[in-house]
Amino acid sequence: MSTLIIIDQSPYGSWAGREALDMTFSLAAFDQPAALLFVGPGVHWLCQGQNADNLGQKSVEKNLSAASMFGVEDILADAGSCARYNLAIEHLISGTTLVESIRDTIAGYNQVVFAG
Amino acid sequence: MPDTLGYTFVITGAPWTTQAPQSALSVARAVLAAGHRIDRVFLYGEGVHLASSLASPPSDEHNWPHLWSAFLTEHEISAVACIASALRRGIVDPKEQARYELESSNLRSPFEIAGLGEWVEGNLKSDRVLYFHGAN
Repeated sequence: MSTLIIIDQSPYGSWAGREALDMTFSLAAFDQPAALLFVGPGVHWLCQGQNADNLGQKSVEKNLSAASMFGVEDILADAGSCARYNLAIEHLISGTTLVESIRDTIAGYNQVVFAG
Repeated sequence: MPDTLGYTFVITGAPWTTQAPQSALSVARAVLAAGHRIDRVFLYGEGVHLASSLASPPSDEHNWPHLWSAFLTEHEISAVACIASALRRGIVDPKEQARYELESSNLRSPFEIAGLGEWVEGNLKSDRVLYFHGAN
């Protein structure tokens, strides 16, 4: 049973993305294959050099950097969304893979879960 | 495919903020009416507000926490509020009240507080997992 978790909202404006990340880590902790796909404004999760101190929040970049340690298999970003926000792969946290087709990506998993 | 399917429901939208609990209850009734099974209802994120015993809407409005708890009790369906989501939002059972030395508890029966492992289990054991999100 492989699961793709899709985050389509920017970080910091809501807790839904953080809670979707917790779901992903939880699957990985129970040895269930899990991957993350960031689309639309959600690609901002992957920016390097985030400083959330002024917001009084913890940087999501640090959370995401722990993904591979928790056993999350892939961190994927929609290439079209990245282009729209002028984010090149070198702006994104290491380990990110760009995908050209959301449809083909989704097709590779047994189930897909959207952040609420 | 078996004739009877087992479902896990995941509700992430709060009552009165979103229609998610209402939609989920309608689907839940339809699922049982069609002869299927609901293995578990899992409240996550804002959805944990559905487990509040303190919600007190005006008497001419539906009380979604009450309607849901009555449905769950009648059909003996397991219902879990995610512990991390619940504690953040002030949904607390007596055990967590004692642990965090809080003034009161407010978890509505038959909801229980447990971890995301219950959701992972639903993914593995249920034939279908349905998500009821609030609109963003």
